[in-house]
Amino acid sequence: MAFLIRTIAVAKSGREIVRDREIGKNELIIGRDPASDIHLPDLTVELQHVKLTDAGQGMIAARALGELPFTVDGESVTEARIDPDAGAQLAVGPALLAVSRDSDAGAAGPVKINIQPAPKDPATGDPEAGFALAKAMPSKRAMAWIGSVAILVLLLSIPVFTHLFRTPVENDPENLEEGAVLFDASWSTGELSMAHHDLEDNCEACHQTAFVSVQDETCLTCHEELDDHAKMDRQLTGMAPVSTGDAIQWDIGQALGKEGPLGCVSCHTEHEGPVKLEASDEQFCSDCHNDMDARLTDVSFGNAGDFGDKHPQFRPKFYDAHFAKEAKRVSLDDNPVEMSGLVFPHDIHVSETGGAARMAMSLSQYGAPLECSDCHEEDNSAPAGFKPVVMEDACEACHSLVSGTAGGAFTSLRHGDVTELMEDLAKVNLGSRSRVVTGRDRPGQYGSGGRYHANFGRPSGSYLAITRALQKGGTCGDCHLRTTTDGRPELVPVNIPDKYLHKGFFNHEAHGEDVAECTDCHAADTSGEATDLLLPDLESCRDCHLGESAVKTEEIVPSSCAMCHGYHTPAAPWRPEDHPKLPGNGPNDNVAAILSSLRR
Amino acid sequence: MASVPGTRFSEDEKRRDADHISFLKHRRFRWLWIALLLSVVSILGYALIDQEPRPNGGSWYGYTLGTIGLLLIVWLSLLGIRKRRMTEGSWSLKAWTSAHVYLGLSLIVVGTLHTGFQIGWNVHTLAYALMMIVILSGIWGVYAYAALPKELSANRGTMTGGDMLDRIADIDKKLESAAQPLDRGSCDLVLDVLRQDVFYGGALSRLTNSYPGCATKKALAGISASGSDAEARVHELLTSRAEQLAQMRRYLRIKAMLEVWLFIHIPATIALLAALLAHVISVFYYW
Repeated sequence: MAFLIRTIAVAKSGREIVRDREIGKNELIIGRDPASDIHLPDLTVELQHVKLTDAGQGMIAARALGELPFTVDGESVTEARIDPDAGAQLAVGPALLAVSRDSDAGAAGPVKINIQPAPKDPATGDPEAGFALAKAMPSKRAMAWIGSVAILVLLLSIPVFTHLFRTPVENDPENLEEGAVLFDASWSTGELSMAHHDLEDNCEACHQTAFVSVQDETCLTCHEELDDHAKMDRQLTGMAPVSTGDAIQWDIGQALGKEGPLGCVSCHTEHEGPVKLEASDEQFCSDCHNDMDARLTDVSFGNAGDFGDKHPQFRPKFYDAHFAKEAKRVSLDDNPVEMSGLVFPHDIHVSETGGAARMAMSLSQYGAPLECSDCHEEDNSAPAGFKPVVMEDACEACHSLVSGTAGGAFTSLRHGDVTELMEDLAKVNLGSRSRVVTGRDRPGQYGSGGRYHANFGRPSGSYLAITRALQKGGTCGDCHLRTTTDGRPELVPVNIPDKYLHKGFFNHEAHGEDVAECTDCHAADTSGEATDLLLPDLESCRDCHLGESAVKTEEIVPSSCAMCHGYHTPAAPWRPEDHPKLPGNGPNDNVAAILSSLRR
Repeated sequence: MASVPGTRFSEDEKRRDADHISFLKHRRFRWLWIALLLSVVSILGYALIDQEPRPNGGSWYGYTLGTIGLLLIVWLSLLGIRKRRMTEGSWSLKAWTSAHVYLGLSLIVVGTLHTGFQIGWNVHTLAYALMMIVILSGIWGVYAYAALPKELSANRGTMTGGDMLDRIADIDKKLESAAQPLDRGSCDLVLDVLRQDVFYGGALSRLTNSYPGCATKKALAGISASGSDAEARVHELLTSRAEQLAQMRRYLRIKAMLEVWLFIHIPATIALLAALLAHVISVFYYW
């Protein structure tokens, strides 16, 4: 068999250069080796790649000599039988070999192999463009689009749309899913305070309407119990002037519907991290109260700036006249006299010697000279921290109202009402009038035990006892003042207020035994009259308490306004320890709370 | 007076001089001083103005800084539009670029003070972070434009980029024919070399000049210099190819460092504008 090899090369001009040669062999080697019958100078071709052999009957057998296969009519094989009459296309490496019978020579003609090198990919574009970094980077435009669209969709559009088209639901910390705005966590400027921690994923609880700032009304849906610090118009007049910058900001803000500088969020700023709610500092109060009289000219209270330097004298509220209907605030500087309607010398009662002391020592319930707490019993739930002094409990052990015996038990005069007292006294008179002894018994029905018996003794018991009891030295007059109302004997009403300090708070518990004795502040041991108002004045508090900036020593306690005053509840200062259930205030402080308190 | 030749000459001379002054020194650092003034005033205001309860983007001073910052950012980003239009005079492109650089730097102060140093995982800090990325990439850009072109030409010598490619293509041709007698394994190594794009490697490879998958290096290791003549010849060719590649890659590295900042600066600027919009809208949406 003979092979006619036709090599087709393409010149640069595009013209085809055709070279023919004939090989009269039955075997033919195709490979990269220059000694091959068909030399294919390409590195993808094996040195000896394919062997073509005459397989008789005009057929050709093709066999791969190395490991690499070759392709026959598009099929990768290592062995194949080729019918040149039918024609076939061999691919060895990049070269294409078309096998056919030379038609010019008829059926016995040589096998023709057309060799065409694979077309080379024409170089595209500017080869030097590869030097630009742009070839190795994603396009700037694509990056810009992806970045900005991602931001506008995820961080703006989704929160806005889910907020606009949500179904508003009532606030429920247990169910944050319903009606929730999506992805708005990315809008939060910082964590909420610990008290509001449950609202962390519930922005719309406070931010209810788009482009409308948080409204006081919204805060009050939960905090309905809070009072205004003062009437709003008074506050607006009395508040410290704000800086020009702040004034402009408030003007613009309020014009756009923001609550003013007295709105809740103006002081209770949120998103400042997981901080505890803490009492305000002195500056917060003194900003307005330091020179408030300049703006609120009709206020009854003085300016205050610092407890050590600038604080008005205390003005307790009590009854300064008998029969007064209303208690009145009087400065301790104005030599106050309390008209409680009682007679009570504290000094005799607290003295460790003398009659009262002896009496107390003889009674089993005291067994010792009287102490303040024998009458003044502490009770934190009471308005001033003490139970009211009740005569029956506190006084009666000594100042007995026992009037006689009946059925083996003592009977007592009832306390508290003159009419009842008169009834009780009448009964006493009936029962135990002293017997008139004349040596003669009255006769018949007039005699003792008879139907017409009557007590003809002195009338002092039945008719004079009430006047005597009410008079000084009498049963009641020991402690009460006598008066006459509409011709009837009466007592001056007792007027003791539940508490004396209404605009501030004094915690007796914090001034316990290890701090001070009662008499250190209340001059009970030298007070001989009930008209003495035994409240300590400002100066005596300053023995220990000075303003916030005072240096703390064993003696001195730096004291800010909030120690005694509250903002929303003037008589009850806000203290974290009073709210153990608030997050961060209880014993289960978490790390965030500890860190936040350290930061402060 | 204006027609006095001396005056005319000195004016022209001034203009000619001005044309060759870098944008950084434009008008005796006019914009540097303006930017410094803005920064110092911002810092003083932050330190001296009492902001209750704490410095914050929502105080009046915070809003002021925020507004200045916003206007600056929008104006600075307009450089991309401005540079495509030619004008001259006080708002020449050089003046504009000078202001762009210095006012952009002062944004570090204005923007940071606007945050009140309150940083978190939110859209607001995202805008701040993007702004800082834009500024820092810009600083790199100014440095790169000032320092790297010198290195670039030093590395290139008299060659152009095209020369380097031609030299490699030339070596490749010789390599292909020299490798003809080699066995399959060696041939494959050479084939890998020829098939690998001369610009093979991503941006990181270019910047760090580290090409762990370099076929030329692998072929050098796989084809012994002390084998057959053909092998020795191929090894020799591979060695000179590696040298040429190394030079080209140093060139690529400098060029990448020169250009990379724009790939951060521009997309980050556009993302910043988007984040800024989200920041401003969200702040007032949830006022």
